[in-house]
Amino acid sequence: MSLSRRTLFRLGGVATAGTALAGCDTLIETVFPGLQAPASLTGPFRVPQSDRVGRLRHVMERLSFGLRPEDWHRALDTGGGDEDTAIERFIDQQLHPERIDDRRADHTVRRLETIRLPQRELFEYQPRLLLAELTRHALLRAIHSQRQLHEVMVGFWTDHFNIDISKGDCEHLLPAHDRDVIRRHALGRFPELLRAVALSPAMLWYLDGRVNRRRHYGDQPNENYARELLELHTLGVDGGYSQRDVMETARALTGWHVRSEERFAKGKIEFDIEAHDRGPKEVLGHRLAPGRGEQDTHDVLRIAAHHPATARHLASKLCRRFIDDDPDPTAIAVTARAFEESRGDIRRTLATLFSTDAFLRARGTQLKRPFHFVVSALRAIAADTDAGEAMQRYLLSMGQAPFQYPTPDGYPLEPAPWRGTLLWRWNLASALVDGRIDGTRVDRRRLEDDLVGPSGVAAHLLGRRPSEAEQVAAHHAADPLALLLASPAFQRF
Amino acid sequence: MHAMPHEHTHAPTDPRPRASLTGNGDDPRAMVVIFLRGAADGLAMVAPVEDDAYHLARPTLGLGRSSGVRLDDQFHLHPELATLERSFRGGELAIVHAAGSEDQSRSHFAAQDLMEHGGLVAGGWLGRFLRARADGHAASALSAIAIGKTLPESLRGAPSATVIESIDDFGLGADAAGYLAGLDALWSLETGDLGHAARDTLDAVRRIERLRATPYTPAAGVDYPNTRFGRGLSEIARLIKARVGLEAATLDLDGWDSHLAQGSIMDPRLRQLGTGLVALHHDLGALAATTTIVVMTEFGRRVAENASLGTDHGRGSVMFVLGGGTQGGRVIADGADRPWRGLATEHLEGPGDLPVNNNYRNVLAPLLRRHGATNLEAVFPGWSAKPLAI
Repeated sequence: MSLSRRTLFRLGGVATAGTALAGCDTLIETVFPGLQAPASLTGPFRVPQSDRVGRLRHVMERLSFGLRPEDWHRALDTGGGDEDTAIERFIDQQLHPERIDDRRADHTVRRLETIRLPQRELFEYQPRLLLAELTRHALLRAIHSQRQLHEVMVGFWTDHFNIDISKGDCEHLLPAHDRDVIRRHALGRFPELLRAVALSPAMLWYLDGRVNRRRHYGDQPNENYARELLELHTLGVDGGYSQRDVMETARALTGWHVRSEERFAKGKIEFDIEAHDRGPKEVLGHRLAPGRGEQDTHDVLRIAAHHPATARHLASKLCRRFIDDDPDPTAIAVTARAFEESRGDIRRTLATLFSTDAFLRARGTQLKRPFHFVVSALRAIAADTDAGEAMQRYLLSMGQAPFQYPTPDGYPLEPAPWRGTLLWRWNLASALVDGRIDGTRVDRRRLEDDLVGPSGVAAHLLGRRPSEAEQVAAHHAADPLALLLASPAFQRF
Repeated sequence: MHAMPHEHTHAPTDPRPRASLTGNGDDPRAMVVIFLRGAADGLAMVAPVEDDAYHLARPTLGLGRSSGVRLDDQFHLHPELATLERSFRGGELAIVHAAGSEDQSRSHFAAQDLMEHGGLVAGGWLGRFLRARADGHAASALSAIAIGKTLPESLRGAPSATVIESIDDFGLGADAAGYLAGLDALWSLETGDLGHAARDTLDAVRRIERLRATPYTPAAGVDYPNTRFGRGLSEIARLIKARVGLEAATLDLDGWDSHLAQGSIMDPRLRQLGTGLVALHHDLGALAATTTIVVMTEFGRRVAENASLGTDHGRGSVMFVLGGGTQGGRVIADGADRPWRGLATEHLEGPGDLPVNNNYRNVLAPLLRRHGATNLEAVFPGWSAKPLAI
């Protein structure tokens, strides 16, 4: 059943529970007409014909979790057959997700009830269910959303502002955080994103902001969040702040707590002036006058968000995601300047990054992390998956289960920790193609029809014609599809 | 308190990519964590038979002064655990009494979570241990294995954690040979770190394929209980002996919540536990010296038996530590801060429970050190461990 009884009762005026229980899908589609699945496209689709990965394919790979069978063909059409126009339009479209019809993706997550619940109601659900649905949601959106850059940035900020769901009440708070903080601001303005994170009950739990207080003379503030705010979220470890800045920031942030008792207020944040340090402070060279209560928080976050070191730190991280592990310093500088000049506008920062030479040149240099690999494989062969337990286990085995990274630095961007995951990538490729994963199916026939035969499938998976060595290797196996997914080229983007 | 100390900012210094099979550089050290879910009664497993208060509190369920296996001048081992006597006398088995956590809730779920996380922190203690050990390098693809259906909270945050019932769950399909030949050809031209990792992984896959192709035969004379628990233990032995880079394995033995008719609940489980531990230990042969088996439970049970021949939720229980260089042959009942005072009412806690003398972290700490933990603060954030000498 796709709607809970409670939800049905809340919808009261729309349908009576008795009639509704029989056909929930119909009911959902009556209540939320946008959730009907639009028909999917059918081939034949053109595929790249060159021996090297072309510009359009490269840009699409970098801004997404990999290409579905129809993606390259469609993007090329959008540019009227011209690659440069197609690139321009693709980037522009991806930077404006609100203009993209995403009903297909909405449809795939329609049964995940907990991701839509208001925060207080999340406390009524088992943590295991909340994590399972949140993970399915992350996978299904990444697999099906047309707003690929948005999904990529959701992943980027989820790591940047990492929260492990297993700490305390985070197990109940994270679904709302993912929706209302990360997803809402993923392509918005960094200062607003930072503020939403800082005052998110999940972050107040994860980094102990909720117990950062000064009630009595001599109470020491809890520095946990203040340190990560400067070290990880904004200025960066080499950002030029001092230990004193950390302590002063922690003092400025005293007084917030998360309500945990009353049923209807559970998970709400509150500022308690009695727990706030009312003395004067000095943070990163700015003086904060005494006695201004929660204004201190807003000032500190604004100062950190607009610090020049923050622009450099974020530009460098974005370049590491979109260019390579050791990005060209000019590209970082240009991106940092765009961030500063736009006062932290994430779209304008990304638009600048995407216009650098370094970005266009760096083809196939990045190792896909496990989540990216799994999603790109499912997208590439248009697999139908419930993203359930069987699929999630592969992510656990490869060490990148969403929302489960324990330390505040988030899953690493660098390739070294992920090199040990080939065993499970190869296992997944074989199991996926053979239909040995519960809840996941591949329509091989349709894939080959849409891409006009095995050589079309290969060119689609690799983004170019297969090399001679790849063709020879493929002959070893009865079925070359798994080998292509397990090949060196498919591990990169 | 930090979610974790600031270990995350330093870059890996060793550029050598670690092999994906034996990511730990062929280090044979493995830790096996057995969790007795449901709160196992420590006072039944290791009974203070010389304490008059024990017999007063447990007139029906108590172990007689001359029953079980005498361990020292205070404690007797439950007769269903008698198989453990040899390991105890041989000094390979240490028993820690009045062990447990600081949890006061006496709720199974809250206490298991707290104990497996290692406090109100993110991730599990075993996961953090493995992550600190890997130190930014690629961990072995099979470095952590949970035998069962779900990942235990203790392994949350591990660099890699695989949930399987058996290594037979791993497979490359009907055309494994062709697939492997193709992988070999595809990756043979790949240079650099990823190519290196790929060749190690190919070795790993071949080892696993060989392992799967041969039915497992335990060492001579070893007899695992023919239960899910017994099969899980033999699977762990199989993986450790195959040297696939296993660093930690977890396995549960469920159903210890003995509110009613305690004997009928505990006896068969104790038998499984005792024979299973001995089987695993012997099966490992020379590798027993580098494998530490630890048995833990979320809390113990009320000292006084209830009217339905059972016991209710309490505090302190026992932990067993076997192999891996354990300095055993002793029952450690005194804690770092609090000695064993016996079961007289004035020494009990709350509704009549055995207080916790030995926090479980102090029991795990020396084992983790032997297994390569250099920074206990990274495993147990905010806890100053006082490692027991075991």
